[in-house]
Amino acid sequence: MRRTLLSIIALVLTIAAGAQTLNVKVGSVTYQFPASQTGEMTYANGETVTIMGKTFTLAEISSMTVDNSKVSDGTIGVSYDGSAASVTVAGNVAQYVTPTVSGAHVSIAQSDELSEEITYTLSGASDDGEFYMSGSYKATIELNGLTLSNATPVYSGAAVHIQNGKRIKVKIVTGTTNTLSDASTGSQKGCLYIKGHAEFAQKGTLNVVGNVKHGIKTGEYFTIKNATVNVTSAVGDGINCAEYFLMESGTINISGTQDDGIQCDIDGDASTGETTDHEDEDSGNVYIEGGTINITVTADAAKGIKGEGDMRISDGDITVKTTGGGVWDSDKVKTKASACLGADGNMIISGGTLNLTSTGAGGKGINGDGTFTATGGTVIVKTSGNAVVASSSGTLSTVSSSQQLDRYDSDYKSSPKGIKIDGAITISDNAAIFVTTTGAGGEGIESKTCIDITGGWVTVNASDDAINASYNDDTKSLSYAGDLTISGGYVYARSTGNDGIDANGNVYIKGGVVYAIGTSTPEVAIDANSEEQKKLYVTGGTIIAIGGLENGAQLTQACYQAPSWSKNTWYAMTVGSETFVFKTPSGGGNTLVVSGASKPTLMSGITVSGGTSIFDGSAYTGATFTGGTNVDLSSYTGGGGPGGGWH
Amino acid sequence: MAAQAEDYTYLTFETTDGAKASVSVASDVTLTISGTTLTVGSQSFTLTNLSKMYFSNTDETTTGISEELRVNSEEFATATFYDLNGKMVDKSQLSKGVYIVKTNSRTYKMVVR
Repeated sequence: MRRTLLSIIALVLTIAAGAQTLNVKVGSVTYQFPASQTGEMTYANGETVTIMGKTFTLAEISSMTVDNSKVSDGTIGVSYDGSAASVTVAGNVAQYVTPTVSGAHVSIAQSDELSEEITYTLSGASDDGEFYMSGSYKATIELNGLTLSNATPVYSGAAVHIQNGKRIKVKIVTGTTNTLSDASTGSQKGCLYIKGHAEFAQKGTLNVVGNVKHGIKTGEYFTIKNATVNVTSAVGDGINCAEYFLMESGTINISGTQDDGIQCDIDGDASTGETTDHEDEDSGNVYIEGGTINITVTADAAKGIKGEGDMRISDGDITVKTTGGGVWDSDKVKTKASACLGADGNMIISGGTLNLTSTGAGGKGINGDGTFTATGGTVIVKTSGNAVVASSSGTLSTVSSSQQLDRYDSDYKSSPKGIKIDGAITISDNAAIFVTTTGAGGEGIESKTCIDITGGWVTVNASDDAINASYNDDTKSLSYAGDLTISGGYVYARSTGNDGIDANGNVYIKGGVVYAIGTSTPEVAIDANSEEQKKLYVTGGTIIAIGGLENGAQLTQACYQAPSWSKNTWYAMTVGSETFVFKTPSGGGNTLVVSGASKPTLMSGITVSGGTSIFDGSAYTGATFTGGTNVDLSSYTGGGGPGGGWH
Repeated sequence: MAAQAEDYTYLTFETTDGAKASVSVASDVTLTISGTTLTVGSQSFTLTNLSKMYFSNTDETTTGISEELRVNSEEFATATFYDLNGKMVDKSQLSKGVYIVKTNSRTYKMVVR
């Protein structure tokens, strides 16, 4: 026991004992050499001394001291204090770096011979300083309570400029707040510029102001985990990166930008697509797997989040608001408008909560050039702007009526659609989508290829077509161009100015619960392109259609018509043992059509209790009801009128 | 524990003539360079005479009495010996005592036992 105790005491004494460090100070830079590493330090000709491969000119040495300072290998510390900065360099990397300090402007050049990672820890405050690092070996930048503004650039206009194309970890030290502001002049691409791959981590906070271009610019991929990044102002994008953007967790708040919130581009000439573990990936993809994003962008045609590749959202809380209007792109000869989310590739949503609001002219919630696939998550989209149109000379104006848009070619108008996708839209499983549009041309959900709903919950209140499958020049030759199929899920599609559900191809209703509301004739609740010999095919599902169905529909499953319907009234439709209760809108087409696997019974004026609210409170599943008056149903074969009428 | 840096007692300087002087670093010390001289503690070195320095755990200061000069060495062949009065003596007739030895590369005191 005594021996053990003595051993412990000896151990403690060993740990407590200091170890010598030789500090060699040259100007504002102190090189710290642990005595255990120095070996022989050689003098030459009374002019130089070489320590661990680093040769100092004796005449330039301010001081040399031996003390008990602790040194961590591979570290460089930069401490800012007003108009000055001091640098400490660990001895084992001293020979591989060349620090230069001018006031509080610090530049450190890594030599190509460096073969181990250096961690640069930046701290302190300066209202006229910067940190510039160049090199060709991966590095870590720790922001440990740094407040840095670059007023008179020496090396770069950026506050922090990493001219190093390798992987750069940016550790925002937990518990610290860091604030960066770049110079108001210069050619810097970002207040925080990283040439290579940037990996943001740890639970600190970073505030960024981009006075010339972007808030944060990375030449290659951008990933973030745990950290909080606030871009409070930027002349360009809040965050601009290449290769791919990946958010695992943490928080990003972006406002005050004059361009997009987050933009990710393909770095090379062609996309690699997603790769295993993102190895050598250059896809332009945006991956959001967790965390919180709050973005407000105000510029015309700005995007909240834009990817040149795919956008894949599997988790997280994402709130994006755009307020800007449209612009005329004279190069592409077309109008452009804002969007909360924009992807040149596919849009895949499998989780998370998205709140997307666009208030400007032509502003959209989601705008994708590829396909849209939703299998989970909650997507809430609200647009309130009117459509923006352009004259032949590119002069912009807005329209207040959807009908006015018909005379404009597609390149000369941009409508405030909730979800506008060029490729196919597929909604299934647990996806919950809520879209509200109020401006002229505000279609709720539109595909320029086809729409397939097999599950989930879709609730659309739109000023134009609520759900529209269409086609364009690129897709019109497809056999399924403009087709819309519903075989499962719950679909509510209400338009106050057009069709509830509209397809330029065929409409197939095979299953699910469909509650469609169109405005008065000639618009209907569910419309197919009969002008081009397309049809509505009803083979299954539970259907409530206010405004009727298109003429010429092929109703394999029988449909029934109510003699009239009452607005703002609760109804119960029972098919077999299943009862679905719904509330009628404040307005809509005259004809109320219902259909189910068997002839439904319909009760009007019921009182609802229990159940699960869906369709923004316009219906319940699993509810019970009392009271009400039976509605006589008659066979229905198609058309929006003239029978019936609401009162 | 393996990462614990070693605690040294001395910083030893060696001059171009091979002489060594150890300075205690048990407490903080400052090495001052002024002109052509490096001063640390009570020791001063002409910079042009310094060849190296290193941390050590023993006082390696050379006193002259700890060095050997072998009679069959090249250095002995070229050395001249003086007594403490400065009078040159015959190196083949040395008796016990202290002498000043001058060689081509250095001059130092020597004890003949």
